Amino acid sequence: MKKTIIKVLCLVFAVVMVLGCFTACGGGEENYAENNTKIKIGVSGPLTGGAAMYGIAVKNSAQLAVDEINAKGGVDGVMLELVAVDDQHDPTKVSTTYTTLYEGGCQLFLGTVTTAPGIQFKQYALEDEIFYLTPSASGDDIPSSDGGFQMCFTDSNQGTASAKYFNENYSGKKVGIFYKADDDYSVGIKNNFVAGLNSSFGNVVEASFTGEASQFDSQITLLKDCDVIFMPIYYTPASQFMKQGASKVKASAVYFGCDGFDGIDAVEGFDINSIKQEVSYLSHFDSTSTTGPAADYINAYKAKYPDAPLNQFGAAAYDCVYAMVAALESSDEEITATMSAQDFAEILKAEFTSDDFVFHGVTGECVNGQKSTITWNEDGTVNKRAVKYVVKQKS
Amino acid sequence: MEIIMTIINGLSIGGTYAMIALGYTMVYGIAKMLNFAHGDIIMVGGYTIVLFFPISPIIGVIASVIFCVTVGIVVEKSAYKPLRGASPLAVLITAIGVSKLLQSSAQIFLGSEPRGITFNFGNIQIGSVSISVLTLITILCSVAVMVALTLFVKYTKTGRAMIAVSEDRGAAQLMGINVNFIIMITFIIGSALAAIAGVFLVFKVQDVGTTFGAMPGIKAFAAAVIGGIGSIPGAMVGGLVLGFIEAICGMVPALSPYTDAIEFAILIIVLLVKPTGFLGKKRREKV
Repeated sequence: MKKTIIKVLCLVFAVVMVLGCFTACGGGEENYAENNTKIKIGVSGPLTGGAAMYGIAVKNSAQLAVDEINAKGGVDGVMLELVAVDDQHDPTKVSTTYTTLYEGGCQLFLGTVTTAPGIQFKQYALEDEIFYLTPSASGDDIPSSDGGFQMCFTDSNQGTASAKYFNENYSGKKVGIFYKADDDYSVGIKNNFVAGLNSSFGNVVEASFTGEASQFDSQITLLKDCDVIFMPIYYTPASQFMKQGASKVKASAVYFGCDGFDGIDAVEGFDINSIKQEVSYLSHFDSTSTTGPAADYINAYKAKYPDAPLNQFGAAAYDCVYAMVAALESSDEEITATMSAQDFAEILKAEFTSDDFVFHGVTGECVNGQKSTITWNEDGTVNKRAVKYVVKQKS
Repeated sequence: MEIIMTIINGLSIGGTYAMIALGYTMVYGIAKMLNFAHGDIIMVGGYTIVLFFPISPIIGVIASVIFCVTVGIVVEKSAYKPLRGASPLAVLITAIGVSKLLQSSAQIFLGSEPRGITFNFGNIQIGSVSISVLTLITILCSVAVMVALTLFVKYTKTGRAMIAVSEDRGAAQLMGINVNFIIMITFIIGSALAAIAGVFLVFKVQDVGTTFGAMPGIKAFAAAVIGGIGSIPGAMVGGLVLGFIEAICGMVPALSPYTDAIEFAILIIVLLVKPTGFLGKKRREKV
């Protein structure tokens, strides 16, 4: 008799435990935004560390856009609020930053600022079925037809676009590549660049580094005789390379970068005019613009943040906030502050992939003082015209 | 031609590693502890020179030596001295803690953006080969420091006391040697070497961040072990070996991405084949 009671008890406990498991699983669909009074926009980016210049610009610019939109009455009368968290450009920090944002009630997401953390972010985002529009994580793996969109060019597009530029302008010259072998961003662009070059270039010299290796003796030796050095890397190692190679690399050479070069003229302790060579990059924003929509953004930014870094990452973040708001406004759905991130994701995804949705922003080529035309493909990649930006002429 | 350039690059990279490794090996040889904060003292020295550089490079060098020595003394007094006689593991963990503390403090006080200087030493042209003046100075300084340290340890009273402390701390104390004082002197020398290494590294890289000393520090530690930790000429040899490996890898595009892996793989091989390193002393274990 006693044994039967124990058996029944065991069974009851087992059932309770199994049920408990189900409730726990169901917790994933909880609406963390149900107590929100404003629509929260979340972004995870490097606010400290070597890539901080990007994260800070993104945070400030998104805040600028949020303030402007709020001043005009918000989205359907609902105010916006920005939440920015620091991932130090470190993928291992993303599990924390993502949870902070998502469970903190964020509904719209700018994803991450840089690629490596962005790949982590994407996994969590797809699991929770949220939508993100990243200003600057340009990795090929970042966009997703399930709700991952980019404001910047994808790496493969940057590599291909650069190769196209080389084919048209540097045909037959001796080309060198200096890339970071343990960085998805760098390797991704480099591979597409090499694939896109035509046969006029012959042997392309490749030199690479890993980690924070900062003594570039060998790399300079390999590249010193090249006419054009393609550098799909961030500004810190690029400025180190230029300084260390100042008297060794050919004076007539061109340093040709990608969006990671943005801000290279503002690196502390790096006097870009001490470099004899030309420094240029292909981008979607010219941070020296003095007219048109780009200049309007730059002036507004400088008025609000006179001492903060200004670069295309910020401009892209500014466009991201406006693009998401534009999508929400063009949708027929009613917007409230307590809608879940998933509800927002559904609206945004439908808008961004619809054929009628065209956004006019400050990044991309702005013709005749008009805002640029930006559309998105179904796979989350962006369509707009690139801008070549000469940071410094040859001296 | 390429071989000559590789050798020069190897000397250039190896020279800085040798300089750092000398500091590592001094402290290990005498205090018998791995000072993992050594790389961060280098960072402190690097920041000091960058901050003082606009005033005068010479004042910058002097300031970084003084400042690093001060930091070294404070760290030794406050973190390591209370642990004298504690298990080596406790000291090791403390050293890692000190390393993180220095990095974080630098980030709090100086911000996270790397800071740099723009400075060019110029090159010397020998035939068709050009060598950076900085490379020559680094190598000459490393050799000079190595010789000076060797002479100091062998022929001065303090130096001999260091050897005594290194060989048997208890017996040395019984012979009237002030062990704490000797270890303090060791840390002063180690920190001064770190400051000089930091200065050379900054002139080379022309940039300093909060983790500036971490990777060179770990590589120099590997260099010290390869050369035989505790051995002064060994540090020099180990540093140059690593420098050459790095230079060779850098010149071969296929190997270049694996430079760090190859360097540490060689450390493992050396430890397997000759655990005491190239020039390390064999210690007989008393049973």
